[in-house]
Amino acid sequence: MRKVLKISLCVAIVFLLVIPQLAVAEDPVKIGVLVPLTGIVAQGGLEMKYGIEMAAAEKGTVLGRPIELLVEDTQVKPPIAVTKAEKLVYKDDCKALIGVFSSGVGLAISKNIDKLNVPFLSTHVMTTKFYSLHPLVFRSGQLANDQTAVGNVKGIIARPDLKDRNYYVIVHDYSWGHDAGERFIALAKENGIKIYNEDYDKAPIKTKDWSSYISKIKASGVDGIYMAFITNVIPVFAKQAADFGLQAQGIKLVSAAAPGPLELEAGGEACYGIFGASDWSWDVNNPISDKWELDFFEKYKTIPSDAAVHSYVGAMNLFNAIEKAGNTDAKAIADALRGISYDGPYGTVRISAKDNCMRNDAVLTETMAAPDNPFGAKVYMKVLETFKAEELGPPE
Amino acid sequence: MTGIATAVDIALNSLVLGGVFLIVAIGLNIIYGLSRVMNLAHGSLFAIGAYTGYTLVASGLNFFVALLITPIIAGFVGLILERMIIAPMRKRSMIYTLILTYGLMFFLDGMIKQTWGNEPRFIELPIFMGETLSILGTHYPVFRLVTLAITAVVMIALMLFLNKTRLGIILRAASTIPEMVSCLGFNMNYVHIGAFVLGSALAGVAGIIAGPLTTIDPLMGHEMLISSFVVIVIGGLGSLRGAVYAAILIGVVQTLAEFFITDLAMVIVYMMMAVILAFRPLGLLGEGKFE
Repeated sequence: MRKVLKISLCVAIVFLLVIPQLAVAEDPVKIGVLVPLTGIVAQGGLEMKYGIEMAAAEKGTVLGRPIELLVEDTQVKPPIAVTKAEKLVYKDDCKALIGVFSSGVGLAISKNIDKLNVPFLSTHVMTTKFYSLHPLVFRSGQLANDQTAVGNVKGIIARPDLKDRNYYVIVHDYSWGHDAGERFIALAKENGIKIYNEDYDKAPIKTKDWSSYISKIKASGVDGIYMAFITNVIPVFAKQAADFGLQAQGIKLVSAAAPGPLELEAGGEACYGIFGASDWSWDVNNPISDKWELDFFEKYKTIPSDAAVHSYVGAMNLFNAIEKAGNTDAKAIADALRGISYDGPYGTVRISAKDNCMRNDAVLTETMAAPDNPFGAKVYMKVLETFKAEELGPPE
Repeated sequence: MTGIATAVDIALNSLVLGGVFLIVAIGLNIIYGLSRVMNLAHGSLFAIGAYTGYTLVASGLNFFVALLITPIIAGFVGLILERMIIAPMRKRSMIYTLILTYGLMFFLDGMIKQTWGNEPRFIELPIFMGETLSILGTHYPVFRLVTLAITAVVMIALMLFLNKTRLGIILRAASTIPEMVSCLGFNMNYVHIGAFVLGSALAGVAGIIAGPLTTIDPLMGHEMLISSFVVIVIGGLGSLRGAVYAAILIGVVQTLAEFFITDLAMVIVYMMMAVILAFRPLGLLGEGKFE
């Protein structure tokens, strides 16, 4: 009888120890995805979501547990984004936050990060304020404003068709636009590029009819425009400028942000001739990029975009960091994110251990008629120049 | 570019902008004046007009044919909305229809997004409209001049309808003394339906002509709704004549402000509205009807 009792006790102890472990092993690691699915940049948000979903599907598991993505719509409104972040962390028990389109939204979440106490990796925030902002705040995605300005200035100097022009600077009237405009103007002046209006124009985000601004540009007599607009507005401005014959008169457009592929398709020929520095376009040719583009198109039946690829790479960096951390503790994941790198469609993307923001190679592209391609795209961003991560900075 | 060329650019830009505001605002004013419904979904009807025009042109129809069909479709949408949603609430206080149309705006925007997606759309124009025309030293887009002409034709047709036809005269009378029109044996239900259909059709026309001017996206109606409210506040709620003056005034002020003091352009427009509200609450011509 004693023997039976002993055996029963041992079995019970084994059960008590093993069963919870088994249960934990099956518990998913929850990741909060914050993207705009309504509002002015909803298309970009959808593409970001696709990129993160693709990374999660490819990665499969972290720490031997499935990855569960909980997606929330920020509506590109900082207070709403903060509420959604709180819901994801406090109610849903997400171990990290990823995504976010817009510097304003990114900064609002960062402001609350002590309270949220989870790592936050932004994939579509360009403000330079993100450098060393907080030990739990990271960037792995679109180039920051300073990096874009370096790429664009280097591109302008390298291209005879862009050099020796007088640039009119016009930006969207909010923190990112101001930062992008000021970074470019400062660097352009240092490098001898002429700027027509150092007190650059600030247009409201809701501007639909650009005719007054275009008339002003016409009256200025410049032969170049540097624009810092939210991605979906780039083709709108380019089209209206084309309607007034600006591009036909030889005025060149350089953009601080990359236009989305569907927006370029909608703008058609009017969108030819937009230059700009960015991390990636589907014209980047390497085996990883080529495979990724086809996989993405196969899965989502839409032209691969930079918003998607940034988010894919950012998500891969986050998932690998959780793996490296060995657990889901916020500090452990943040420590693992510092210095981590991922070899993806646009080369090695490394998160600096010094300032929590990524370093990677970039390209200067020009939009033009697309060659035959599997995506059926009519307009594409042709790669003109390639820049090394060290050239773009910032120094570490 | 000479000073004269710039002045021509500014003048034409003002008229084009004011023209689109005018057609939307007149539609909103007609609905309010005749049926006392402040239709907050009017901007969505404007967007439906733009998307309908885009779809018709993308399916191979000529832009001008689409321009004739679009208001009919927008008017039909207006008819359905009036019969199914607005009419059952008509006897209640205006606040009910205000809240109802506010909800309707989000519903219609959601439907637009579901049907056409998020990305911007552009209406393809006949080749000649893609050219520019040289006017006193400036190269001005032909389609903008065509837009101006369409606005003028729509306004003249509307004025002739309201002033010279029996139906138009009844509608005008109903906007001033609805009780008398009712006593004369006219069914006020038809007046309400007519107002909503006409207002919606005008929103549709404005949508298809604004499409090539700006861009078509699911939220395009929101900004237009705000701008047309500014027009009707400055012109006087329910006043058609006032709306004409107000639309031109706003077009000129906004264009000049965007040109000369870019950063404060919209602030100036709203300040102007606040000043007029404070000193002429019944609008520029004092013809406004507030209830």
